[in-house]
Parts: sequence; structure tokens; C-alpha cells
Amino acid sequence: MQKKIVLVLALLSLIGVSVAASPQDLLKGYESQSGKASQARGEQLFNAKHGKEWSCASCHETPPNHDTKHIVTGKLIKSLSPNSNPDRFTDQAKVEKWFKRNCNDVLGRECVAQEKADVLSWLLTVK
Amino acid sequence: MKTYFLLSLLALLALLALPASAARMAMPADAPKSYEAECASCHMAYPPGLLSQKNWQNIMSGLDKHFGTDASLDAKTQTEITQWLMKNAATREKYAAFAPENRITKTAWFMRKHDEIRAEVWKRAGVKSPANCAACHTDAVKGIFNEDNIRIPAK
Repeated sequence: MQKKIVLVLALLSLIGVSVAASPQDLLKGYESQSGKASQARGEQLFNAKHGKEWSCASCHETPPNHDTKHIVTGKLIKSLSPNSNPDRFTDQAKVEKWFKRNCNDVLGRECVAQEKADVLSWLLTVK
Repeated sequence: MKTYFLLSLLALLALLALPASAARMAMPADAPKSYEAECASCHMAYPPGLLSQKNWQNIMSGLDKHFGTDASLDAKTQTEITQWLMKNAATREKYAAFAPENRITKTAWFMRKHDEIRAEVWKRAGVKSPANCAACHTDAVKGIFNEDNIRIPAK
């Protein structure tokens, strides 16, 4: 059953339909494509630099539970953790878009499902 | 009669002078929602009239490497925003000149307008970057850039 939901969500996102989801749904989706999420790995990935100029925390700060400013442009970035901002991780297409952009900026490549699961599982613990 | 003539001439001149100044560079009313959603999440939604067609074309075809960051879009949104930018790009010679590095901040008019700003001011935490128009131009998001609406952050 879980697999079916994930499959439907994936198909909908492929055709560009904005899918309302909960952060927990998204986490399950990423876990089903990889393995069980690790909050510790997620925290580490979020806070460390990965050979490039920025970490995730360069813009989102840490813990990411408050509004911050873009490190270059100074533009307001709304709080990232779902506990502090209920709008976060509720739109799969948007989540995928930002993972793609920001992983390219921070790691120089796209993130794999396991990394997304890890980071999201940690963010869900950030109060 | 002569006074009336002079007054209307003055009014006409004033009207003509208005668009000649970057004091006002409003956002066209038909901006697609995606422009705000996609472009203005990282920086102000710059009025398209501040860059030439060629500059916008360059920017939109290199979004995966957008001034040091990945700002890539899905194909549909990319087309929508590109077409709108092209339609509303600068037409007057001053703004339509090719901007080096596709940066508004490298245009001749921008540099002349800001030549009295010391390097240290640009680096203040409240400013961060010349791309951050609204740091000093308090009504920049409304397209108002005139000198009465400037407040430079002290830090």
C-alpha cells in the first residue's frame, strides 16, 4: 500500500502536478527509495561543508528554526524546519526543486534519496 | 496666454523627463506568478527593464550556473519567464546597452549612479551585496529608486 502511494506521488510529480504532502509522507517516500533515515547523518550533512564554499547552514543557519538571510543577497529565507514553519516540506515538486539546486551548490552534485531522507529526518527533530 | 503656454511646456518637459530617470522602474503588471516564486526567492524581483534582451537571454540559458548558484527551472516555467523577460526587456538605449557579465551592477548607468558609495558600505551586514537593492532603496520592490527613498544601513 505504502509503495503504491509513493508510486502515485512520484508519477504526479513527474507530470508537474503540485502534490500536497506532509513532511512525514515525503520522508517515507525517500526511505522507500533508499534505507532507514539517520538523523545523525542528516545533521552532519546539513552542517558540514562538502568541498565547496557553502554548507546548508550558510543560508539556513543552525539550528534552522528561524528566518534567516541569503548569505550573498541578504534576501529573507523563511524558517526551514517543519516544526517552526508548517509550510515546509508540503509540496513535493518544490522540495525536489530546492534539493536539486541546493545540493548542487553545497555538494556539487544532486543528493540521493538516502541523503534527502537523512536531512529531512533530522529537520523533523529541530524544534 | 503666454504664461499658460510656458506652464504647459514645463509640464510637458516634466513628463518627458520622468521616464528618463531610473527613479521609477516599475514591474510590468503582467508579471507571471512564477517570476516572483522562482526568481525572487533568492533576490529581489528585478524589473526586466533594467537589462537588455541579450542579457536576459544569457541569464535564462545558464540558470544551472547562476552567479555561483544553481537556479535551474523546469522547462515550462523557464519558457514562461524567458518570454516575459524578453517582451519587457530594456528598450531605451541607456538601459539596453549590453551589461558586462549580465550584471545590472556592471552597467555604466548603475556604476555612475553609485560611484559615491564606498566599498565598505557595500560590505555592511545590512547591505551584503549591490544586488540587494532594497537594503538602501526602501521602496525598491515597488520599483521606486529615487533619492528621497534611500536609507543606507549604518551597519
